[in-house]
Amino acid sequence: MALLEIENLTVRFGGLTSISKLDLAVESGAIVALIGPNGAGKTTAFNVVTGVYEPTEGSVRFEGRQIGGRPPHAISQLGIARTFQNVRLFRGLTAIENVRAALAAARRSGSADVLRPPRWRRREAELNEQARSLLERLGLAREADAAAGGLPYGEQRLLEIARAIATRPRLLLLDEPAAGMNPSEKQALRELVARLREEFGLSIVLIEHDVRFVMDLCERVTVLDHGEKIAEGPPDTVRRDPRVIEAYLGTGGGAA
Amino acid sequence: MNGVAWGGIYALIALGYTMVYGVLKLINFAHGEVYMVGAMTGYYAAHWLGVAGAPSLTGLVLTLGASMIACALLAALIERVAYRPLRSAPRLAPLITAIGVSLLLQNLGQIVFGADPKFFPTLIESRNVFEMGGLSVSNVQLTVLGTALALMAGLELVVMRTRFGRAIRAVSFDAPAAALMGVPVDRVILGTFVVGAMLAAAAGVLVGLTNPKIEPLMGVLPGLKAFVAAVLGGIGNIPGAMVGGILLGVIETLVSGYLSSTYRDAIAFVLLIVILLYRPTGLFGVSQTEKV
Amino acid sequence: MSRSGWITVAACALVLLALDVLLPRVLNPYYATIVIRIGIAVIAAVSLQLVNGFTGQFSIGHAGFMAVGAYVSAAFSVYVGAGWLEAFAAVLPGPLARVAYYPMALAAGGVAAAVAGLVVGIPALRLRGDYLAIATLGFAEVIRIAILNVDAVGGARGFSVAAADHPGADLRFEGFGTVYAVALVTIVVISRLVYSSGGLSFRAVREDEVAAASIGVPATRVKVEAFVVASFFAGVAGALFAHSEGYVHTNSFAFLRSFELVVFVVLGGLGSITGAVLAAAVLTAAPELLRGLGEWRMVLYSLLLIVTMLVRPQGLLGTRELGFDWLRRRLG
Repeated sequence: MALLEIENLTVRFGGLTSISKLDLAVESGAIVALIGPNGAGKTTAFNVVTGVYEPTEGSVRFEGRQIGGRPPHAISQLGIARTFQNVRLFRGLTAIENVRAALAAARRSGSADVLRPPRWRRREAELNEQARSLLERLGLAREADAAAGGLPYGEQRLLEIARAIATRPRLLLLDEPAAGMNPSEKQALRELVARLREEFGLSIVLIEHDVRFVMDLCERVTVLDHGEKIAEGPPDTVRRDPRVIEAYLGTGGGAA
Repeated sequence: MNGVAWGGIYALIALGYTMVYGVLKLINFAHGEVYMVGAMTGYYAAHWLGVAGAPSLTGLVLTLGASMIACALLAALIERVAYRPLRSAPRLAPLITAIGVSLLLQNLGQIVFGADPKFFPTLIESRNVFEMGGLSVSNVQLTVLGTALALMAGLELVVMRTRFGRAIRAVSFDAPAAALMGVPVDRVILGTFVVGAMLAAAAGVLVGLTNPKIEPLMGVLPGLKAFVAAVLGGIGNIPGAMVGGILLGVIETLVSGYLSSTYRDAIAFVLLIVILLYRPTGLFGVSQTEKV
Repeated sequence: MSRSGWITVAACALVLLALDVLLPRVLNPYYATIVIRIGIAVIAAVSLQLVNGFTGQFSIGHAGFMAVGAYVSAAFSVYVGAGWLEAFAAVLPGPLARVAYYPMALAAGGVAAAVAGLVVGIPALRLRGDYLAIATLGFAEVIRIAILNVDAVGGARGFSVAAADHPGADLRFEGFGTVYAVALVTIVVISRLVYSSGGLSFRAVREDEVAAASIGVPATRVKVEAFVVASFFAGVAGALFAHSEGYVHTNSFAFLRSFELVVFVVLGGLGSITGAVLAAAVLTAAPELLRGLGEWRMVLYSLLLIVTMLVRPQGLLGTRELGFDWLRRRLG
């Protein structure tokens, strides 16, 4: 059984069909890319998997459990984390607070926070330690106490990944993680993503425009166009697929 | 019928709320006080112009004009001093200055105009022009309604047919984009305040005709209710504010007539809650979903 | 609790007790009333800060929950509590009997307001931004007008906190110690709630609701929690108000009161507990201290408000807190 199974998924907004009859399976431990021209429905697919949108038809199963239509926070607690295309950090909080918020979100206890028994103190110290080590692993240790909104763009993207991992997910969805990065940053990010998969036992789905980035990193690629899957398979095969070439060239390129 | 007259007054005030909200996303809590100042300057203007003693239509028009000009100046001053410097500040800051301006006008009003109620001069001799069963219509009510409708029609014309109106709509729709297209956003915002204030001033004079007792705190409750009317019609929506105002006036009068007058003031707010919970964008609003 | 914790509590209790005994002797009744009103304003402002400043949900109807607390606790005292207080006084010395009784009156007010907060909050908190603000204003006005129409609590005449059939029970209560103990508890509870890892959920919702949900924060629940906790303390503040003034009228809880509380939290700095405390104290005292100016007093007060906001749009403290850390940094 695959970790994530999307079957026959259709999403419509009013009369507009954003995704049509999509099937997609992500095996445990895989890194999968979702590519396609703008408006192909990639982010919509993420939004359905994370509960932001409800599927119009079809099913989304995670670890065998039906999750389509559940609220986003419940899906996060089941083990799916994500980043956003346009980076949505808690800008007014510090970097480490962003991570701590994610570490603690699922197990809050207001009464413990108010009464602060000894075990609360231990847990608080533990969370702090975990947050710090996570920041360290993403190379953000020095920015721990800086306001998230003031970080350089590239670091904001990394922090968003750190925050996502802090929820202890088994599936991580990255929405254009390399957008706006220069080649050397992209190279570093590629290595980082591969390493995070190993260290945290993650399965990763990523949306990316940069085909080279995808080719080196991912085992499988799924190509969407106008809400439909037009190709799927190992990067090399997909790259030569005439339908894929047409989809990209037809919309004026974007596949560098 | 009294309800429709009140409705016209609510609608005039509501327009100012809705237009300012449209361009600035600001709830201008000082707007009710502009209406109060409108009634007060109307009172003084009528005396100074010597039209207080002799009811005539010219007297009414002159009084209206004087009070609208006074409030236009006041609104321009308020906008420049209390709101414009905060254009790029956190969104709540202007809300607080709005509350500050509202308190200021209330208290300054008590000093300048005196805390005791004044009696608005009779600009129109009241008589019933129509009577049938329980329904009676006076010429004062008709004048109030007629003037309100005329002003609203004028506004509609300005908004839909003039360059200024087009600019207002452009800024409401997307202020940064409008600025890029060369719309002088600051002037449009100022203009919106001024137009809104003139309508509120007219409402103040008109209310003086039907309910001659005027005092410095008279703006508080009608201001709040007019705001409810604006929400009722979908805040930011100009025709919505007109319909919302008249609807509110009628419902209030019906409820206090047939149910209980002690609940009269609650009606507006119950209505507000019901609307917000079932149709938060108002009767004529368009819902917007957030893009993720 | 640790040893230093107990010492702090004991020290606070001692100071409060001393205040309780000393203040009525050194202050004339007029100033005494102001000091109590400051304490009550602080409780209401800090509780509102949880909703408006930390959770980012803009409520402008907080006085409605104060009204619920004031009236329910007053009615509780008059119709039920007076008998209990008499019974306590029969077996306990006077001051002790009151110490035993008053927490119940306060709790009655707080719990009633919390329930009202839940009932209002669940539907209202689905709304966002300005729409939520307007809805809270509407609810507060409806609450106020509803109370105005309940004859058992005096209606438009107002309601005296005195029980005619229990002459032995003095329900009026002007304890400095109590008011400031409650204020202290409010501050401690709310700052502990928000300044902890779990409490980051409140600020996460304020910063970005969609992102908060994406990390597992049940946003709606967090908002309702904040609203209910804030309503509880507002209710307690209302209960203190009713019992210290000895008389309540719905005019005290009109939307001007709600606005005043909003002014406290925004002027103090949204997201700063000490800011709210500071603003509540200064702005409650200011109109009284300016009384010498006669009719110009409120004019100056509103000018002050406008000018402060123009000079410091982010509020006096922004999101910072005044505290020992801050002092230490300042003093080097």
